[in-house]
This record gives sequence, structure tokens and C-alpha cells, in this order.
Amino acid sequence: MAVITWWAPIAWVLASGVVVALVMLQTKHRQARSRDRLPVAHAERLTALPAYRRALAGYRALVAAFVACLVILVALSAVLTARPATVTLSTPELHNRDIVLCLDVSGSMISYDSAVLDVFDSLSTEFTGERISLVIFNASAVTYFPLTNDYDYISQQLERLGKDFQAADPSYFDGTLLGNGSSLVGDGLAACATRFDRQQDERSRSVILVTDNLVAGEQIFTLPQAAALAADRGVRVYGINPGDTTAKDYLREYSIEFEKSITDSGGAYYPLDDPAIVPSVVASIEAEQAAVLPGAPLVTRTEHPEIFILVAFGALAGLLLLAWRLKR
Amino acid sequence: MDRLLRRVQTKLYIHAHRAVRGLLEGEYRSVFHGRSMDFEDLRPYVPGDEFKDIDWKATARYGSPLTKRYIASRKHTLVLVVDTGRDMAALSASGESKRDVAILAAGTIGYIAIRHGDPVALVAGTDKKSEFVPGELTESHLERILQRIQSAIRLDGARSNLAAQLAYVHRVFRRRMIVLVIGDDRELTGEEHTLVRRLAARHEMLWLSIGDADLMREEWAQREMYDVATAGTVPTFLRDNPRLRAAFDSSVTATAERSEELFESLSISSRRLTSQDSVIPGIFRLLEAHRHARR
Repeated sequence: MAVITWWAPIAWVLASGVVVALVMLQTKHRQARSRDRLPVAHAERLTALPAYRRALAGYRALVAAFVACLVILVALSAVLTARPATVTLSTPELHNRDIVLCLDVSGSMISYDSAVLDVFDSLSTEFTGERISLVIFNASAVTYFPLTNDYDYISQQLERLGKDFQAADPSYFDGTLLGNGSSLVGDGLAACATRFDRQQDERSRSVILVTDNLVAGEQIFTLPQAAALAADRGVRVYGINPGDTTAKDYLREYSIEFEKSITDSGGAYYPLDDPAIVPSVVASIEAEQAAVLPGAPLVTRTEHPEIFILVAFGALAGLLLLAWRLKR
Repeated sequence: MDRLLRRVQTKLYIHAHRAVRGLLEGEYRSVFHGRSMDFEDLRPYVPGDEFKDIDWKATARYGSPLTKRYIASRKHTLVLVVDTGRDMAALSASGESKRDVAILAAGTIGYIAIRHGDPVALVAGTDKKSEFVPGELTESHLERILQRIQSAIRLDGARSNLAAQLAYVHRVFRRRMIVLVIGDDRELTGEEHTLVRRLAARHEMLWLSIGDADLMREEWAQREMYDVATAGTVPTFLRDNPRLRAAFDSSVTATAERSEELFESLSISSRRLTSQDSVIPGIFRLLEAHRHARR
């Protein structure tokens, strides 16, 4: 609970003080001025009567109720003008994300790919507003599904591809072997980086590229070129390289090239040697994204004047009624 | 100088009927001047004279009623006991100042007394002090007494305490006198009852109450009102309450009845005066009531 115009109650207190002071001054002035008061003797003839005491008590009760209504009304007006609100922090950018999963589906990569799919499958239940697309590539890139926020569909597709991976069903290769060679990472990344639509929207765009950068064949884009293309288009690339381990030292050169091109283009690079670490890598990508994403968290303030307005109306009604009764 | 007495005379001679003045004098005479054995002379009958005093034979001879006059058996001193505290500066039942009503009453009865050869003395005062002006027979002396009453009664004067003046009279005057008390609607306390009873045993006592203002009077409902004794305000907001007005009226009536009963039980003639216009008829009634009470 917070107040939006914090100074309003202070202003009310000051204003009330001024009004009370003016009224007191006026009363004093009037009393000092009224020399035409009627002098009477033995007022106890009236004031000692039980009927007088009863009438006075009744009158005092009315005045007390009037003052109570007035105080409630002023206090509630102060509260209302202070505009109490509940504050919620939200970071819309995190829900404004487009993520393209860019999976190298060459034989050596299958186990890592399915780990990444599992993680995104479980994450898809928590997403609100993010759009996911899946692109698989080998010699050529295939959009498995385009950017969408239909999470049921995403989950379904991710599970299906995961099963295909495990069952070694070759149907998932369909369309990925059309190029000249295999594991054409540069082309794959370039394809992924151009999968984003709604360029004019302010959305966070990122590619999660899973590959060991073991290129065989002739590429149209080299990896550095593709990374630069991605950077040009404002796409952030997260590279996950399962091949960057001492066990696969023969891939060392590729790993260095991979890391360099990714980091040079402003992305992040994660070497790993065990598919079990993938969830933590994805988590760190999420964290890194949250840190990198521009813009302050959005503060949403929801005001709650309903109860105050109702009670204030009640007090106002009481005030008018009592004023009429007192004036009579 | 003698403007206060002039006002009294004006009231007596012009404003009131001539007959009333004659009546008053006749009443006064028959009340306070007993018949001695010494016949003085005859004079034409004026209303108010005792029928007993009419000389029927002389009347028959003369053709119109003649009254016997005797040399007064005794001279009385009329002592005016007047409360000059600030209670008397307040408003009377009619809205006039109680002071003006009191001065007119004191002046009227004092004037008649002087014309009958009775000296008029004054005991006046507040809760602070009581003062005594010895009796004299002149009109200028009466004027001084009235002036004194007028200047003593002020809104910023000391508080009223009629008991102090009654105690003074009780302490100082041993000889029988005519004591006329001019007070207001206040109910007497138990202590004052005793004092008044003792005074009534020793003196010829008459009592004039100047009626206090009606606190619930409608035309004053919007005016601010304060008690001169305590300076406390009588709140405006309750003075138009009809139920309270009924309760106040019945309370005032009850108080007046109680006072009347008290004075009756002490065989003191009393009269309540509400306005200056009611002074002369009021005094006439007072004297009449006193004459009947004595018989």
C-alpha cells in the first residue's frame, strides 16, 4: 500500500487548521462585538430544569455526531486525495521476448538438443507473452514452428521432436540435408537470425544456438558473418557448445572461433560437456537476459478508492441531515 | 436634578388616571394611618377611604360624602429595602430594565408616603456592602434616594444578595416601621425565610417582586443572552424548543405560587410587577391586599 500524492493529507491538515483558526477568530470577534447581548438574571430558572438538561444533552449528541461526520469526511477526503494504491512491479520486457531455438541436428548433437527441448518444454508452462520458435538445421535450416505464443502447441511440438530424437526417427531430418555439406552453422545462425517478424515492435530478440561448430561443407555465411548479421538485426545470440571440452580437443579451433564470433557480436557463450547442465545454462541465459534487457521495471499502481468513497458519502449524508436538524 | 421623581409624578398624574392617584393615596392613608381619638377635620371623600371614616351626618348635611380626618396616631418611617446588585440591572418580564421598574415603584410609594408626612429611608446594597439613607420628608430627599438606586444598579456592579440588606434591617431597626422590599423573582432560601419571618414580626412588611425576563420569549430566541450574575451564556439553540418552553412556563408558575404561599404564611403582602405600566395598579393592589390582610 502506498500513497500517490503524499502531501495531500498535510495540505488537508494545514487547511483544516486555517479554517478552525478563522472560525475561532470570527467567533471571538463576534463575541467581542456583540454588546447587544441581553442581560438576564437567574438563568438557573431555565438551566436547572431537567427538561433543559435533557434538551442540552440531545443537542450535544447532535453536535458530537455532526463533528464526528465532519472529521470522518475531512479525514476520508484527505485519504482520497492522497490516492492510496497498491504498487506492483513488472518487467514487461521479459514477457516481450522472442526466442528462436536454433538447434544443430547433426548426429553428435542429438542428446544436447533434446536436453534443451526438455528445458523449454517445461519453461513453456511459465511463459506469459514470450514467443518461441524452433529452427533446426544441418545442411539447411528448417523452421519447425514459427514464432508463436500458443504454448500448448509449442509444448506439443517440443515433445514430438524430443520423441523423434530419442526414437532416432529420421523424419525429423526432412529438409535439413538440402545444402552442400553438413552442420553449416553459419547458414543455420543466419537463417535463425532472419526468422524474427514485427521488426518495428520493441521486442527483445534472441537466438539460442546449440552447436559444436563442426562445419563440413561450403557455407554461404561463415559463423562470424552470421553473428554480425544477427548483431545488425538487434538479435542477441546465446551459444551453447557441447563440443568445447578437453575430451574433444580436436574441436578446439572451432570452439575458439565459435566463442569469438558470438562474444564479438555481443552475445554470450556457454561451453558444456554434460546435457544435465543444460537447465542451469538456460536459467543463466534467462538471468543474463533480465540483466541485459533495457528499460526500468514497470511500476503499476492500482488505486482503491471504493470503500473510502462509500464511507465519505455516508458521512456527507449524515452531515447534511444533522446540519438540517441542528439548524431547525 | 429631580428628573426621576418628575417621571414618577408624570406617571401618577398624567399617564395613570387621576382616580388611580386618589385611590392610591386613600389606600395608603387607610392602611398606614390608624385612627386616633383626636378628630382633625372633615374633607371630601376620595375613593379608597375607609367607609367607616365617612361622617354620615355631615355627608347628609353637606350633600356629598365627607370623610373624617384624625390627627395621625403615629408617624411611620417607610424603609425602602432595594436590591442594588447587578441582578437588578437585568431585563424584566416586559423587556424593560428591572432597575427602571424598581425606581418607578420606589418613587411612587415614596412619593405617596412623603405626601402623607411619612419620612422615606433607604437600605440598599449588594453582597459587598449595605448602605443606609436615613428618612427625611422632602421630595428632594426622595429624588436623591431614587438617584442613588439608579446609579447603584449597574451591569458591572457587585452581585446581588438581598439577604444582606434584610439582615441589616433586622440588626439596625428596633422600632416598628413600614418596610417595603423591592426584589426579584428569585426564590428565598431557608435562611432568608427565618430572617423574613423575624422581620415580619417586628415591622409592617410589604414585598414587591420585579418579574424577571422570560428566558424562552420568542422574539428573543435569536438574540444572545447572558446571566448577569455568572456571565454565563444562555444558549440560543435551545430557546426555541417548544417542550422546553412548556417546562419553563410551568416551572416559573410553580415558583411564583410557592413564593406567594410563603409570603401569605408570613402574612406579608406581596405583588409581582412585570413592567413600568403595571407599577401603579400593582401598588394599588398591594396596598388593598395589605389592608384586607390586616383586618
